[in-house]
Amino acid sequence: MSDEYADAAAAVTALVAGRAGDWDLAGLIPEPLLRELGATGRLCATVPAEYGGPGWSSLAGGQFTAHVGSLCSSLRSVMTSQGMAAWTVERLGTAAQRRAYLPRLTSGELAAVGFSEPLAGSDLSAIGTTIRSEGGMLVVDGHKVWVTAAHYADLLVVFGRYGEGAAAVVIPADAPGVRVRRVADPMGCRAAGHAEVILEGVRLPADHLLGGDGLSLPLLVTTALAYGRISVAWGCVGILRGCLAAVASHVVSRRQFGEPLASHQLVARHVAELYVAEQTATRACEHASRCWDEGTPDMVGATVLAKHVGAVQAARGAATAVQVMASAGAQDGHVVARAHRDAKLMEIIEGSNEMCELMLAQHALATLEGS
Amino acid sequence: MTVSPQSTIQQELVDFLHSRTKKVWEEDTDLFASGGLSSLFAMEIVVHLEKTYDVSVRGKDLRLDNFRTVTSMATLVRRLQGAGDAGE
Repeated sequence: MSDEYADAAAAVTALVAGRAGDWDLAGLIPEPLLRELGATGRLCATVPAEYGGPGWSSLAGGQFTAHVGSLCSSLRSVMTSQGMAAWTVERLGTAAQRRAYLPRLTSGELAAVGFSEPLAGSDLSAIGTTIRSEGGMLVVDGHKVWVTAAHYADLLVVFGRYGEGAAAVVIPADAPGVRVRRVADPMGCRAAGHAEVILEGVRLPADHLLGGDGLSLPLLVTTALAYGRISVAWGCVGILRGCLAAVASHVVSRRQFGEPLASHQLVARHVAELYVAEQTATRACEHASRCWDEGTPDMVGATVLAKHVGAVQAARGAATAVQVMASAGAQDGHVVARAHRDAKLMEIIEGSNEMCELMLAQHALATLEGS
Repeated sequence: MTVSPQSTIQQELVDFLHSRTKKVWEEDTDLFASGGLSSLFAMEIVVHLEKTYDVSVRGKDLRLDNFRTVTSMATLVRRLQGAGDAGE
């Protein structure tokens, strides 16, 4: 495993080749590069080998996610989407659907997952997208917004109402009735291909439905988002590692008042804060991933905790990194400038800070009440 | 696969719920009725059932009705133990 991980990390470093800043400025990652990485299966590295995936543990996949996140949060966001799409198929799909879709997601096709709508952000119970059966076919109507990676995607996994409950559907992005429009100038993860997806009378064969009758929308969404959250959490570790590396090299080489910046105590404190942030986020992610790998029920709360700790630490740490780098990092495209914008989005995506706090409070009260 | 007795599963689930929530739940109490448990906790239960009973709770079984009471969860587990892969 360790060799395989080191090879994968070196390969993706070579693939990115220091171009993350250019992608940030252009708002695009070259699509052939995404497909090349996708064809190695490493955009969704926890997919089991029987479906053509690398079959990595959550911990190994997480370390790889952090590595990609340290290079380019836009690329890491595309990974998160691909992994969440694969996970949704794995959890909600039948064995036949897993065999049909997972090998496509590990061989170069790209996927995105649609939750949010104009009137349903944090409150996903307000989802208005509908999936209905009509003459042996499925018909999907709805409007999804901020669908990460949708600009690049071949397959869109979309959550909607179905009968008395909810379901997800797999929609080819080129199906009639599907329109994908890129979000103009997103503030962070600018090259992640965020788009709105408009679905008007999209007709699909019945076997594109993941799940079945009467499923619980909150349970489906919670299941899918669990993967997104652990992936974002590791991505935040990556943001912090990218910042720490830039800051560490800057403070020993840059001299002011006759000595390296690192010798100034107020700067040294910033370095310490950044290190604490990176270590804290790493420990929270390691714990959550171990829970995933052991299949313990603690994974659910630990994942929300890791996401929240990661996002808050990354946002604070990136701001600190910009402060230390000052004019050397204050230009769009620079690793700490990207980190500052990207990390702020991590406090919003996959459950805002406030939603995470509500869940953590509820979790704490449910486990402690009456004890 | 061996199918566990309903009463054994139910007792274990009552113990599990007590250990996680510090409350005593009757076998037919609706766990998710008002003032009950969250969808986050529903997912914890799914993971617990998978780990403890070596079953896989997938797609069409993710109905809240299956997790509403201790009795309904035990029934689900027994069905999955008898039926093999729930995803088929």
